[in-house]
Amino acid sequence: MQPVGRFGERVRGGTAPASATGSARKAERLRRRARRRAARRGSWVLLLLAAPGVIWFAVFCYLPLVGLVVAFKNFNVSQGIFGSQWDGLQNFQYFLASGDAFTIIRNTLFLNALFLSGSLLTGLVLALMLNEVRLTLFKRAAQSIVFFPYFISPIVISIILQVLLAGVNGQGGAVNDLFGVFDLPQVSWYTTPGPWPWILTIVKMWQLGGYTSVIFLAAITSIPEEMYEAGAIDGASRFRLARSITTPLLGPTLGILVVLGVGRIFFGDFATIYAIVGDNGILFPTTDVIDTYVFRSLLTLGDFGVTAAIGLFQSVVGFVFVTAAVLVQRRLNKESSIL
Amino acid sequence: MSSYLAGRSDPEVDVAEERATEAEPPPAQRPAKARRPVSRRVEPFTVVSYVGVSFFALLCLIPFWMIIIGSFTAESKLALSGYSFWPSPFSLQAYQLLFTGTALLDGYIATLFITIVGTALSLTTTAALSWVIARRMPGISRPLTVFAYLPMLFTGGLVPLYLLITEVLHLENSWFAVILPNMMAPFLVFVAVTFFRQLPGEILESARLDGAGEARIFFRIVLPLSKPILAVLALFYAVTYWNEWFTALLFLSNPTKFPLQLILQNLIANVMNAAQIPSSAAQAAAPVYQLRLAMTVVTIAPILLAYPFAQRFFVKGLTLGATKG
Repeated sequence: MQPVGRFGERVRGGTAPASATGSARKAERLRRRARRRAARRGSWVLLLLAAPGVIWFAVFCYLPLVGLVVAFKNFNVSQGIFGSQWDGLQNFQYFLASGDAFTIIRNTLFLNALFLSGSLLTGLVLALMLNEVRLTLFKRAAQSIVFFPYFISPIVISIILQVLLAGVNGQGGAVNDLFGVFDLPQVSWYTTPGPWPWILTIVKMWQLGGYTSVIFLAAITSIPEEMYEAGAIDGASRFRLARSITTPLLGPTLGILVVLGVGRIFFGDFATIYAIVGDNGILFPTTDVIDTYVFRSLLTLGDFGVTAAIGLFQSVVGFVFVTAAVLVQRRLNKESSIL
Repeated sequence: MSSYLAGRSDPEVDVAEERATEAEPPPAQRPAKARRPVSRRVEPFTVVSYVGVSFFALLCLIPFWMIIIGSFTAESKLALSGYSFWPSPFSLQAYQLLFTGTALLDGYIATLFITIVGTALSLTTTAALSWVIARRMPGISRPLTVFAYLPMLFTGGLVPLYLLITEVLHLENSWFAVILPNMMAPFLVFVAVTFFRQLPGEILESARLDGAGEARIFFRIVLPLSKPILAVLALFYAVTYWNEWFTALLFLSNPTKFPLQLILQNLIANVMNAAQIPSSAAQAAAPVYQLRLAMTVVTIAPILLAYPFAQRFFVKGLTLGATKG
């Protein structure tokens, strides 16, 4: 038998594949196995390290995909996921035939477009302004404060909104008090669906403005100082520098954020919207999105089949959007892509 | 600043992060004078910026101020003239009621359990998996990358998750039903991978030459060098768990197990639920609106208090993540 393992490297050079006899082939096999074992000796620790995470992904991200068969079934809890009757595409037909489908898809797209443009615009303007602030202490404090709403739970945001819009016993509220000062008519906000897309957009601008500005500020710091010096020598004002140098150079960052946002456009912001609107049916025509609809149908109707069908429909369309967005993003900025 | 960046060696990254966090360039690179307008007169845009930033910062603070003030204002005043900027007449009634009942204590126990246990689990699994991905092991790391990335593109949705928790794992009314679905955030996995890949290869290589195994390298070298990113991950996960209420709403039905956010959500859904918070003896004239605001205050108080100290880590994590999609 030929020496393997420790001397494997040296021996391999001597065996010519042309004269491969049975024993040489066997030796080669043993050698390969030994090398693999050596690699594995270090890597079993790594596999052990990765195991909890891998198991989590398998159970909570991949196993549920099996549960999607419910979308094609007339699901019945007592019969279980696999025991229930096949239903073909009936669940999908039921959803698409109901009048709700159009409304919630339109709301999802419209609200997300508003949220995206609102928060990006706020973040951009805020970053440009923060960049002008020279007093270090002021700037640091301001940055911390504007970032803070990002960490507030949707429930607390909902409470804030009630303070502002509803007041005590559904009367008044801070905004109506303000309206009163200017002799404007009082509005019963929680029974008027019309302005809600804009109210939610303002909430999103408030919530994400500071967060987005941090991303933009990070990009601003990478703009070379010489550009500003050149601009200043040419007599440009601070506003002109911000408009003609900073803003165009933030283009790529903005592009990536837009692309990522468009990729998520089919997924509603469930937590915020549900926390604010809840089961207030009066506001559904303008605020109900796919996610809130799915949640309500699951809890109130208990129809797993139809609900799963809506979820699957959303996932598939969403997947198309996200994948397209990732591909576009990779073309925009090869270095920033993950894979 | 310098203390938690001490382990880093890549000067480029340090500078970039330092700038983003401190929001002020290092003086060596950018002399303060060059940044100022050549003429000494005050530029209108600078004035507008100070005003604009102050305005937005105020908008971020005022709602919290109103809630805190409202929680100290007597219910009779709230009902009569709405919310105000100063508590008069001053009243501690809501807090007295909150602290006499057990609901608040139960809520805190639930939220603390979910946050502490959840963050510990999340942190260990995320760090370990990210390190294996970052190690670029042939045949292991790349499949793992794809494995952790695909869920960002395609998810099963609500119903399969609901069936998984209730029909397969039978976790109803367990705090783990809140923890487990949120245990790993693919985004944070990739933030950690990005950080691990920037660790100095020479240190790891010399450790390997000295005969350190993979386990020793990870626990004795990688983790101590990665304290900044571990802080970022821990804080992001902790905030997520603290604010989580949706899974609690889905899977918890026993009111004594409700976390704070769910108690608060019940107060929104039905203002009369507020009357159930204090013990039955005090129920008679519960100040429901004041109580709701007081409950909000005790829910966000830990975040409000910890934020000034933790804020720089969030900015850091965000800039790390932003540079790598």
